[in-house]
Amino acid sequence: MAEALLLDARDITVRFGGLVAVDTVSASFRAGELVGIIGPNGAGKTTFFNAISGVQAPTSGQLVAEGRDISGQGPHRFAAHGVARTFQTPRVFGEMSVQDNIGFGLSFAGRRREAPWLLRDEASILALIGLDHLGHLPAAAITPSQQRLLEIGMALATRPRLLLLDEVAAGLTESEVEAMARLIRRLRDELGLTVVWIEHAVTTLLRHVERVIVLHQGRKIADGTPAEVVRNAEVIEAYLGDEMAETSA
Amino acid sequence: MSDSRQLLIRDSLVLLAFTGWALALPAYGSEFVVSMALTCLMYVALSSSWSLFCGTTRYLSLATSAFFGIGAYTTALFIEPLGWWSVIALGALIAATVAVLMGAAVLHLRGTYFAVLTFGMTELIRHAISYFEKQVTGTVGRVLMVVPERDTIYLTVLGLAVLAVAVSIAVRRHRFGLALRGIGADEQRAQTLGVNTKLVKLAGFAITAAFAGAVGAAMSVRWTYIDPHTVFNPFIGFQTVLIALIGGAATLWGPLIAAIVFSVLAEALRLQVPQIYMMALGLLLILSVLYLPGGLASLRGSTFVGWRDGLLAWARGLGGEKRHG
Repeated sequence: MAEALLLDARDITVRFGGLVAVDTVSASFRAGELVGIIGPNGAGKTTFFNAISGVQAPTSGQLVAEGRDISGQGPHRFAAHGVARTFQTPRVFGEMSVQDNIGFGLSFAGRRREAPWLLRDEASILALIGLDHLGHLPAAAITPSQQRLLEIGMALATRPRLLLLDEVAAGLTESEVEAMARLIRRLRDELGLTVVWIEHAVTTLLRHVERVIVLHQGRKIADGTPAEVVRNAEVIEAYLGDEMAETSA
Repeated sequence: MSDSRQLLIRDSLVLLAFTGWALALPAYGSEFVVSMALTCLMYVALSSSWSLFCGTTRYLSLATSAFFGIGAYTTALFIEPLGWWSVIALGALIAATVAVLMGAAVLHLRGTYFAVLTFGMTELIRHAISYFEKQVTGTVGRVLMVVPERDTIYLTVLGLAVLAVAVSIAVRRHRFGLALRGIGADEQRAQTLGVNTKLVKLAGFAITAAFAGAVGAAMSVRWTYIDPHTVFNPFIGFQTVLIALIGGAATLWGPLIAAIVFSVLAEALRLQVPQIYMMALGLLLILSVLYLPGGLASLRGSTFVGWRDGLLAWARGLGGEKRHG
């Protein structure tokens, strides 16, 4: 696997008035990595995501995608550079059909990007996320867990290199979470995508990712393999406690 | 695919029929009917072009009268040296330019803030022109000396109305229209999927303004004397929005249907009982917002069934309450 840096976040700080939501966090993502981000509520996970997807301009710091500095540009520029994301609460276009929701990304960011075979058109993306039987329904009419999958499909339609997933497993049943994890792994293995996955349920995440970044009060306190991270004293003290002890046992 | 082609054929045929009917009107209609049709066509052009941007994106602009007035003043100032067609094009161009400047300042705001600011800017433009005319050029209004024939005005406004609907049809089938729909549904989501929302909004707002400017330029010659208070009349902007909302701002044909209903209603009531006309307008708006949020164009057979069932349920509920009481 090539060691090219897909996205390099350097000293990202996001400040809301007096509150520092993200405090000089640096992280880089290589091609084909499957990275998890964990942290307690209010640790700045989603704000960090907003910053590296262009949705929230960082107060300071630099974002370099595929060698180009794109800090301060709009989300559509990030999409054009192959950065795609999902939202914690699915934000599908409810009045459009499931198929047209996929078509949206294909018509914009995905239009000018090279199309892998699995992401060649609406039908192939729907088949990939397992919604091929629902294409004609309005997106508002499918279940919340199907909307989660559609969110991922919409992001895939931009034909990204980096996929940012914000709590895609929250509220899913055990078996749905397993299916989701299999899908994410498949995206990485077959499309060579870099996947960055935020999840509140730590144990789920640690089972599936190869590298974990831990945020606490806006700062990055650990970055390493799940095995390393669960032994990190600062991590255990800061937030994980019992839940983490169970995993490592 | 064939579905969308059928839709295109249907829409084009309806437009063609509408055009043919409107074209034939001056030949047999009385002066009164033609004048009524002209007002109607003016609102078809204004409301359809307004809906094209504001209806799909839900950016409720109250600036239509600003663009209309700019067009009207363009005609008043330049019709003598430039002639009819150039002055229409110039009116559209100047209005679009103003829209781009205005849009750059306020299109990042949504909802009420956007609506109020566009209205504020309209008032600003109106008073600025009044002030300029009074202080600098020393006039209150302007007399239009060169006026084209009635049929030329009629055909021009008809052309603009048809063009507004045709452009709406084209935009709906294009990526640009999809981008507008995405902005209306969830702007940030559209952005993360690659839509340059800033550019799309500016372009949409400019198209809307260009139509209002052209219509203003064409309609100004109906008044032989214009002043800022006639042509920047906020009522023109309000009525455009009302027609679009009542007809169905997200639909293609709603604004056209409502413009016809309005013109007939206006001419029938305004002359005899102007207060009743305004009340009817208000009532229609309230009813349509409450019971027909998709507008007149969303009216179907099933809508009536829904109303009947609702009414019956309400009546039963009323009866039930009485028994309990």
